[in-house]
Amino acid sequence: MSGIELQQVSKIYPSGHQQVQALVDLTLSIDDGEFCVLAGPSGSGKTTLLNLIGCLDRATSGTIRLFGQDVATCSARQLADFRLQRIGFVFQSYNLIPVLSAEENVAFPLMLRGVGRDERRRRALELLTVLGLVGLEHRRPADLSGGQQQRVAVARALVGEPSVVLADEPTANLDTGNSVELLEMMHRLNRERGTTFIFSSHDPLVIKQAERVIELQDGRLKADNRRCSAHET
Amino acid sequence: MAGLWWELLVLAWKNLWRNRRRTLITLAAMSLTLMLIQVLNNLSMGSYRQMIQSGVRAGSGHLTLNAPGYREQQDIALAFDVTPFWACIEQQPEVQQALPRLYLPGLAQSGYDSRGILLQGIDMTREAGSNPFLKSLSCDHWLRPDVPEDALLGIQLADQLHLKAGNKFVVTLQNSRNELVSELFRVRGVLQTGLQDVDQSLVLVSLERAGLLAALPGKIHELAILLQEQQQVGAVYQQLHEALRDQPGIELLTWQQAMPNLYHAIQLDYASQNAILLIMLVIVVIGIANTLLMSVMERSHEFGLILALGARPFRLVELVVAEALVLGALAAVCGAVLGGLGTWYLWARGIDLRQFISEEIEYGGIVFEPVLRAVWDVPWMAQSALFLVVLSVMASVYPALRAARLTPVAAMRRR
Ligand SMILES: Nc1ncnc2c1ncn2[C@@H]1O[C@H](COP(=O)(O)OP(=O)(O)OP(=O)(O)O)[C@@H](O)[C@H]1O
Ligand SMILES: [Mg+2]
Repeated sequence: MSGIELQQVSKIYPSGHQQVQALVDLTLSIDDGEFCVLAGPSGSGKTTLLNLIGCLDRATSGTIRLFGQDVATCSARQLADFRLQRIGFVFQSYNLIPVLSAEENVAFPLMLRGVGRDERRRRALELLTVLGLVGLEHRRPADLSGGQQQRVAVARALVGEPSVVLADEPTANLDTGNSVELLEMMHRLNRERGTTFIFSSHDPLVIKQAERVIELQDGRLKADNRRCSAHET
Repeated sequence: MAGLWWELLVLAWKNLWRNRRRTLITLAAMSLTLMLIQVLNNLSMGSYRQMIQSGVRAGSGHLTLNAPGYREQQDIALAFDVTPFWACIEQQPEVQQALPRLYLPGLAQSGYDSRGILLQGIDMTREAGSNPFLKSLSCDHWLRPDVPEDALLGIQLADQLHLKAGNKFVVTLQNSRNELVSELFRVRGVLQTGLQDVDQSLVLVSLERAGLLAALPGKIHELAILLQEQQQVGAVYQQLHEALRDQPGIELLTWQQAMPNLYHAIQLDYASQNAILLIMLVIVVIGIANTLLMSVMERSHEFGLILALGARPFRLVELVVAEALVLGALAAVCGAVLGGLGTWYLWARGIDLRQFISEEIEYGGIVFEPVLRAVWDVPWMAQSALFLVVLSVMASVYPALRAARLTPVAAMRRR
């Protein structure tokens, strides 16, 4: 079953007198449990596409269906609830709330959902353990390394057990070692929990790890390759 | 839901201290303003209380008994016999003193000059402990009950007439039957009240003597009733009004009715002061709004992130309002503590006005005590503190709406 379906999706940004065609007639579907990367040069529309899938922005034309629902028919409030319940985000950087500790950051989406304090703590600590952050749960983001911050962000994206995790260049601020480690972590969670992962990157090292590579150029689909399994061996 | 509000307040608290210096400066401005307005108010209340206190004692009392129409017409024939009401008035436990008086305009003549005067017939023993005009007088200058010609003069009047203690002078006036009558008096003492009007024209004699002179034996123009406490005026007025309702020929007034000049002077002063205090608060609110707006603008990236994580825009409104609430509550507590300390100092020690002004201070026909003291206007202090919290929340409305208008994508593109 395809959890995410895009049909003839275009996105036009007004930019001064001109308009920028960030996505052009994109048709694409991503199944539940896939682990795929959006590749392409800078300005090719990766962030734009992730924002549309994540209900952060609306398409100019075309239809986007998430889990069977046409996103265009939803109100802003419904989209907010959709993000809260079904989608997890990891952004490139500055992606944690500075006044909250690692644990509180991870638990933040649960707080928005109204989950009780003890339950939140339990689930946040569980994920921090899975992501190798035990002992760091009381540190604030400023006292964590870039790689640790990104792992906290991944934990936060996963804590609500969303159907899809969207990550925009999660490794852009990390060195190779940390990048590989983060990717392996995400891959493992993908296999263990069946969560769909979609992340963007232009780092060949990262792209190599993905099972499916969706390549964009100038807002169009350039290539869409599935590998049997890039990760085994 | 209560739990969520609590978490919002905790988050708001943390956010407030992100820019510690800015928050402290805003907090200091808010607290000091609250302290200032509380202290100023309490000090004014103290001075009003003092004005009323000496006003009612020198003037017509907390409550006044008159013949109907006497205040308006000032006709000396409008006198009444107080004996039937004495018992009723004096049995009220709140009544501290009741002072019977006659007021007779006339002319005083010495061998040297003559002057227009107000002859006041009083009961010396009752007045001595209550009337502030008699404060400067030692008891060996009091009017003697067995010497009917004794009189007390205002100091300027005595000067103008070249009179000293022991000298004789003649008072001429029109009595209640419209006959011109004269009487010899002897100066027993001289009064210095600090009020020009009084010092120039007052002559005090015994009530009996004044009554005989005016052909009003056993009658008075006014019974000035002093109460233990100012706050009792309303209640005692009700009781006496009820008790005296069926009595013809008398009228009961409160000090506000009997001394409208004093009352209006206080009201005007209170209103203009409140206007100034309000302006001070409004200026502080602008400061709060500025602080909150700056903090919202700085954090738009973070607000975008919170929206992206699935918060509804109204959550951001709640968060900003919660920050204003915490800031306002903190300032209310600090300001009230400071205001309490300031009030306590001015209550216990007072401001000695003699440091600043050598002469006595006269305002609205009242001489001020040289030491100004604050009173504890606790309900007003609580109200003003609460008002600060409300204003601070109101100041957050615009910044909060700015935050709610952010869209996640646009907000996160900033920085
Ligand atoms: N808010 C916007 N207003 C105007 N133009 C925009 C806006 N956002 C993106 N664009 C334009 O749309 C195009 C696609 O941008 P997008 O950010 O999706 O690219 P990207 O593939 O994520 O690039 P990068 O690898 O540099 O992050 C670019 O030409 C960009 O300039
Ligand atoms: Mg991008």
